[in-house]
Amino acid sequence: MTRTGPGVLLIVTAALTGVLCCSPALAANPLPDEASPPAAMVWTAPDQEAAKKRAAEVVPFVLAVMDECRLCRQQRLRDMGLSVQDQSESYSLLDSPIIRETEDHYGPVRFMHAKHAGVTKDCALCHHYRPLDEAASETVRCSACHQEPFQKDHPERLGLKAAYHQQCMGCHREMDKGPIDCRGCHRKNVPDHKDHLQLVEGAGPFQVTAECLRCHKPAGEDMLKSAHWLWKGPSPYTLDHRKDVELGKATIATNNF
Amino acid sequence: MSIASNEARCTSCHAGYGWKDNTFDFTDMTRIDCLVCHDTTGTYKKTPTAAGMPDPAVDLVAVAKRVGPTSRKTCGDCHFNGGGGEAVKHADLSRQLLEPDRSCDVHMGGYDFNCVECHRTRNHKIAGRSSSAPVVEGGFSCEACHTNKPHHGDDLLDHHLNKHSDNIACTTCHAPVYAKCKPTKVFWDWSKAGDKERRPQKDKHGMPDYDPKKGEFVWKESAKPVYTWYGGFMKRVFLGDRLDWTRGEINISAPVGSINDPNSKIAPFKIMRGIQAADAEHKYLLVPHLFPRDKNDKTAYWKHYDWQKSFSDGMQAAGFKYSGKYEWIRTNMYWGVQHEVMPAEMALSCVQCHESLKGERTCNRCHQDNRDVDFNAIAHKGTDFSYMASKGRDVSHLVGTTDYIDFKALGYKGDPIITGGRFKRLPMGYKAEK
Repeated sequence: MTRTGPGVLLIVTAALTGVLCCSPALAANPLPDEASPPAAMVWTAPDQEAAKKRAAEVVPFVLAVMDECRLCRQQRLRDMGLSVQDQSESYSLLDSPIIRETEDHYGPVRFMHAKHAGVTKDCALCHHYRPLDEAASETVRCSACHQEPFQKDHPERLGLKAAYHQQCMGCHREMDKGPIDCRGCHRKNVPDHKDHLQLVEGAGPFQVTAECLRCHKPAGEDMLKSAHWLWKGPSPYTLDHRKDVELGKATIATNNF
Repeated sequence: MSIASNEARCTSCHAGYGWKDNTFDFTDMTRIDCLVCHDTTGTYKKTPTAAGMPDPAVDLVAVAKRVGPTSRKTCGDCHFNGGGGEAVKHADLSRQLLEPDRSCDVHMGGYDFNCVECHRTRNHKIAGRSSSAPVVEGGFSCEACHTNKPHHGDDLLDHHLNKHSDNIACTTCHAPVYAKCKPTKVFWDWSKAGDKERRPQKDKHGMPDYDPKKGEFVWKESAKPVYTWYGGFMKRVFLGDRLDWTRGEINISAPVGSINDPNSKIAPFKIMRGIQAADAEHKYLLVPHLFPRDKNDKTAYWKHYDWQKSFSDGMQAAGFKYSGKYEWIRTNMYWGVQHEVMPAEMALSCVQCHESLKGERTCNRCHQDNRDVDFNAIAHKGTDFSYMASKGRDVSHLVGTTDYIDFKALGYKGDPIITGGRFKRLPMGYKAEK
C-alpha cells in the first residue's frame, strides 16, 4: 500500500502535461468521458468526478516527518528541479470525509493546483514537510499529515480543516491575493427547509413568497434593487451612458430579435 | 424589439409575479418569485404567457420544501432560451449545457460548474458583463481565476501564449467556434413575416427558416466568430436614438476597441444580423406590439398581422411617437462569445492564425537552437478542427486553414510574426521573404 493517494504522487521522471494539456495523447482522444461504457447514462462531469473520488480517499497517516527548515526544503525542492510539469493533478477538491464527520455547512473548495504552483513557483509553500520514510513520495497530500484535530499523540499537528484554512487564508493574506472570506472559496450548503416551512398544502405563489420573506426579508429587500427584478440598472460599460443608472430592457434597451 | 406592450410574454422570464403592463409595482416584494431561481426539484416552471405566474400544475409547497442554491437549470430556464428558444440569442448558451460534453464546455462539462461560480452573487446582485444588455452589477474575468499569465508551464509555448494574453481574449483561442453544441440564430428578417402560406423549410441543421409570426431566419452551428478589438466597452443604440441608415447598417450594439489601445484585446463575437422596422420620419427604431394582451386585443401583430396597428400600439406603450410611416432597415448586434470554452487541448493551434508558421521555417526564424525542440510540432499543437469535423460539427471548411484571424482587418500590416506586434518593435534578425 502506498503512503499517499495517487492524487498527489509526484511523478518526477515522466513530465505530465495535465496542466496545459497539450499532450498528443490527449489531443488524439480529448474526451475522457467517451471512455465510459455507453450503458452508464447518468451524466457526470469527468474531471469533477475524478476530483471527488480523490477527495473521498483517506490516506494512511504519516507518523513522522523529516525535520527540515522551510528554507532548506524550498531550496532542496528547487534543486531537484520540481516544477508545474511534475504535478500529477492540476485540479483537486479540498474536501475529506475527515472534515465531513463534524462539519457540513459549506461545500468543498475547488483548488487549482497548477495555477497555484505556477503563480508561487514554490512547492514548499504548501508541501512544507516530507515523510520521514525515505521510500515515501517527496510531496504528499495535506490529509496525509493533517487528519483529525487534537490528536493526543500528535499535538503539533493541526487538524485537516484548520490546516487548510491556515494555509490558504494565511498565504492569501500575505500575498494580498485570493479570497479570505468563507464564500470566496466555499459554496454555502442550504439547510433543509422541509421542517421550517409553515405552508398549507396547495399554497399559492404569493403565500409561498410571504413564507420565504418571513425569515428572508433582507434578501427580499436586496432583490428589489437587483437587475433580475428591475430589468434595469447601472450601465458603466456603455459608451455615452456610463453614468446612467436606469438602463435596461425595462427602459430603452432594444435588440433585433 | 422591446418589452413594452409585450409584457405578458416577455416577463415569463421575470423573477416576479404579474408584470403584465407598466403598472407593475416594483417596490412590492410580495411579488418576488423566489422559487424560479431556488428550485432544486426541477419541477418548477412558469406559464410562458402569463406574466411570470407559475404553471398551476406545479406543486409549489413541494418545491418550497426543497429550496436550494441556483443551478444551470434554474438560470438556464431563462438564459438558455432568450429570443424565444434554445440558443436563439446567446450562441453559446443552450440546454445542452445542462449535461454538456467536456468538449462542449470544459467548465460545466468537465468540472460541473454552476453559473454563479463565475457569476458571483452578492446581495442578489449577479456579476457579469453582457455584450447584449447594458446592466452591470459586478464584474469578473477569466483572468480572475486563471491569472493574466494563465499558461503555467515554463516552456517556449507557455512563454508565447502568455504574451498573447496581453493582446487576445482567452476565448479567441479557447472558444474558437460558437454554437457548437446547438445551432444559433444569426439572421432574422422581420420584414418577411406575415406570409401564412409560406411553408417553413428545414436547413441542414434541422432548423426552420421561416415563421409567419416572426419572419425569415438563418441559423449557424459551430460557426467561426467575427474577431474585433474589444476593451470592455460597448456602443449601443437605444429606443429614441436618432439613426442615419442611409450610410450603412446600424449596429444596435458593437464593441469599442482599437489596435492602439493597450486595454483592447482581439475578442470573438457572433454578429446577429437583422432586418427590423424604423420610423421613417423620426428615424428611430420601432417597437411592435406582438403578443396579444387578451382575447379582445385589436392590435397585436401575432393576431392581426397588421404592422401599422402593431407599431402604433407598441410605440405608445414604449412612450414614443410613431409617425405612421415605417421602413425596414438592416441592423447588427455583436454578441460576445464567452461560454462553451473547450478543453485546452482543443484550443486553436499557432498555425491556425499564423500562416508564417505553416511552412518549413517556423519558430526557428528567431530561435536558433532546435536540438531539443520540435518547432513544427509546437506550431501545430492544438486543434485543426479535424477532430470536431469528425464528430459531425460543421467545421470541415476550417480544417488546415491558416487565416483564422484576419490580421490586416485588425490593423496589422500582416502576420505579426513577420510584420511586428502592435506596440513593441523588436528587430528579430530575419527578413520577410520576397
